[in-house]
Amino acid sequence: MTHSMAQFMRRCSFRFRPRALAAALAGVLAIAGSAQAADPDLPGFIHDGTLTVCTNPTLPPMTFVNGTDVNAVDGIDMDIAHRLAEYWHVPMVVTTMDFTGLFPSLAAQRCSMVASGIIKLPDREKNFDAVSYQDTALVVVARAGTPPLSSMADLSGKTVAVQSGTSYSARLAKENEALVQAGRAPIIIQQYPTEDQVVQQVLIGRVFAFASQDVELYYRQEQLHGKVNVILVPPYPEYRHFALYIRKNAHDRELLEQAIATMGQNGQMAAIQKKWAISPDAAKALTRTPPAPMFRWDTFFSALTSTAFMRGAFITLAVAVLSHFTAIMISIPMALALNGRDSLLKMVLKGYVSVFRGAPTLLQLLFIWNALPQFLPIFREAWFTPFLATWLSLSINESAYQVEINRAALGAVDKGQELAGDALAMSRRQVYRHVIFPQALRIALPPTINEFISLLKTTSLASVISLQELLAVTQIQVARTFEFTEYYAAALVYYLGMVFFFLFLQKRVERRFAWADRHKATANES
Amino acid sequence: MNPDPKTMPDPSAMISVRNLSKLYKDFIALDRISFDVQRGEKIVVLGPSGSGKSTLIRCFNRIEPHDSGILSIDGQIINAQTDLTQLRATVGLVFQNYNLFPHLSVLDNCTLAPRLVKKTPRASAEEMAMRFLKQVNIAEQANKYPIQLSGGQQQRVAIARALCMQPEVMLFDEPTAALDPEAISGVVAIMNDLAQQGITTLCVTHEMGFARHIADRIIFMDKGRILEITPPAEFFTNPKTQRARDFLDQMISY
Ligand SMILES: Nc1ncnc2c1ncn2[C@@H]1O[C@H](COP(=O)(O)OP(=O)(O)O)[C@@H](O)[C@H]1O
Ligand SMILES: [Mg+2]
Repeated sequence: MTHSMAQFMRRCSFRFRPRALAAALAGVLAIAGSAQAADPDLPGFIHDGTLTVCTNPTLPPMTFVNGTDVNAVDGIDMDIAHRLAEYWHVPMVVTTMDFTGLFPSLAAQRCSMVASGIIKLPDREKNFDAVSYQDTALVVVARAGTPPLSSMADLSGKTVAVQSGTSYSARLAKENEALVQAGRAPIIIQQYPTEDQVVQQVLIGRVFAFASQDVELYYRQEQLHGKVNVILVPPYPEYRHFALYIRKNAHDRELLEQAIATMGQNGQMAAIQKKWAISPDAAKALTRTPPAPMFRWDTFFSALTSTAFMRGAFITLAVAVLSHFTAIMISIPMALALNGRDSLLKMVLKGYVSVFRGAPTLLQLLFIWNALPQFLPIFREAWFTPFLATWLSLSINESAYQVEINRAALGAVDKGQELAGDALAMSRRQVYRHVIFPQALRIALPPTINEFISLLKTTSLASVISLQELLAVTQIQVARTFEFTEYYAAALVYYLGMVFFFLFLQKRVERRFAWADRHKATANES
Repeated sequence: MNPDPKTMPDPSAMISVRNLSKLYKDFIALDRISFDVQRGEKIVVLGPSGSGKSTLIRCFNRIEPHDSGILSIDGQIINAQTDLTQLRATVGLVFQNYNLFPHLSVLDNCTLAPRLVKKTPRASAEEMAMRFLKQVNIAEQANKYPIQLSGGQQQRVAIARALCMQPEVMLFDEPTAALDPEAISGVVAIMNDLAQQGITTLCVTHEMGFARHIADRIIFMDKGRILEITPPAEFFTNPKTQRARDFLDQMISY
């Protein structure tokens, strides 16, 4: 049965049930706690009997990868999601993606809910329903030894790093308005895509401070090696709660609130907090650990040999090879058509090439992943994985570049070659297959390998649509451990290894084209 | 000697053309050409540059389709319905700049078309190729790539390659024009040799030795038209038109 059908039935069953009865039932359940086997009412956001949780696992301790297996997302949010799934007796699936992709994915119905350490804010609640599950406070953090500030105004003229897509920058902008009105210099805001990069800016001393949540800091205390401390807790009324986000639906929100309340009453919530060291005492430990060495070779080597990195490199390689192969296959007939007579097809192809060469690759990825499902619902189904989306998107993008290479290569083959093939009674196909293509291949090969190498590196953009390629894996590991240099170095080794392999391959293949060079041809013969 | 343009083409002739014309947009490259070439005849086509010599011989294997008039090869009328594979297997063409396939060895250059078009098994295609390569005195280079050969050697390979399709007519389009003097003699010697064997030959060339001693007739063209068709003795001693006289004067001073 289709998913929309199931949803329809659920809506029907709800409509015929009196509201009062539902409320009474919920009350009974709350009293009974989790000991009862009776199924609570299923919220509408559970598609196909599965709770699909979208998260950007770079925010410990709320959501992060707590180990080398990039698919094992851990943290408070995940623990809560697991308890929710148990509560509703449904399986849970975690989908990881870039932070900026979370809300579009929720809107595109790719997730049941977003659980990603996101603050409950009125702005966000205009479009989505939020249910809070954890108290928190905004903190301003600077390098250890920085004297505490007395108010946000003391940040005037200083640089503060925040994670992009979070609401901190909007809040700081508000502070800036007040500062400018008072005739003072505004706070300089720098935005970074991941939380770990935000912290790194403070550690390396590029920015003065960063804005974060206290719970994160408690968890980070060991990794920060006593290098930072809290310099200010601004008295904001907002930024007080972490919330789960769902699509707007009053009934669903009620059901989620009940579920969270139940977890609070039966002690599950307290257990989770204890597990993740959320207590004011934790903050005191911040300055006790000794500083870390400059470069941890053991971290570097274990990253290099980890299955996580190998898997990431494999995905990078696979998506690059498949995309470029597809691009070449598409672009050969395109190049032939573009080298041919003027036609409507040729005009359409010219448009295709301009659009896909003109638009940034990142935008194309985001468009295919987030916008396409709005027009074509089939792309929101589970079969359309980040891998397929990247493959599709990079194939189209790359074909627009490859077609120019093919065209130039075909054009560079002497016209006399085609004439000679014709004069020898060969068919059109035979002339292309045996005379023109082999010669065009030699001309096209070096720029094609260059394109491939650049495509191999472009795949790293796909981390924004949650493809677990090499750079995404690296960032997740960095977010977990804060060992930037070691993990970046390991990623560098993998990328360079792959690139050098293809350069080597190019040299080998070029030897087969000795016929184009008198000296080489002679050398080969002897 | 000139056939009446109004008559039907001669079915017993190897090549027979009547009122053949060819346009490039509104430029008349060939203007109502009529003549016959009998089996085994050797024709040399002369004329100043741009007079339409290449265009004419390229019409014979329909690399350039003609626009009007009648063309018959080996008794068959050539038009849009003609089986090009069969026509081009019958008519071999050698280009001024050889157009060898640079990515294939000399031997593979010679065997590619027979294997693909005539489905000749590789072994017998190679055996035949070696025979023709011997005939053009280049058998010892069979495994080299074209780039390793001199211009004269490449042109001899191109001739062998065309012969491997076992054509009934050989067309040469200025085969020696790109060669240095030593190389020319080798290629001309092979063309003499072929002429002796009786293959129908149409050759655009400025090699006066070949034109004088081997050709049965000379066709002299100017501005897309045939001005004279005469035996060489008559053409070289007593040209009928002023254009031909001027052309010959230029040839001699050159
Ligand atoms: N593809 C073409 N398009 C337009 N004009 C052409 C083309 N090929 C040849 N011509 C013109 O036709 C005329 C005859 O060309 P060609 O047969 O090559 O002369 P020849 O071989 O006698 O030097 C020339 O004026 C040339 O410019
Ligand atoms: Mg010419």
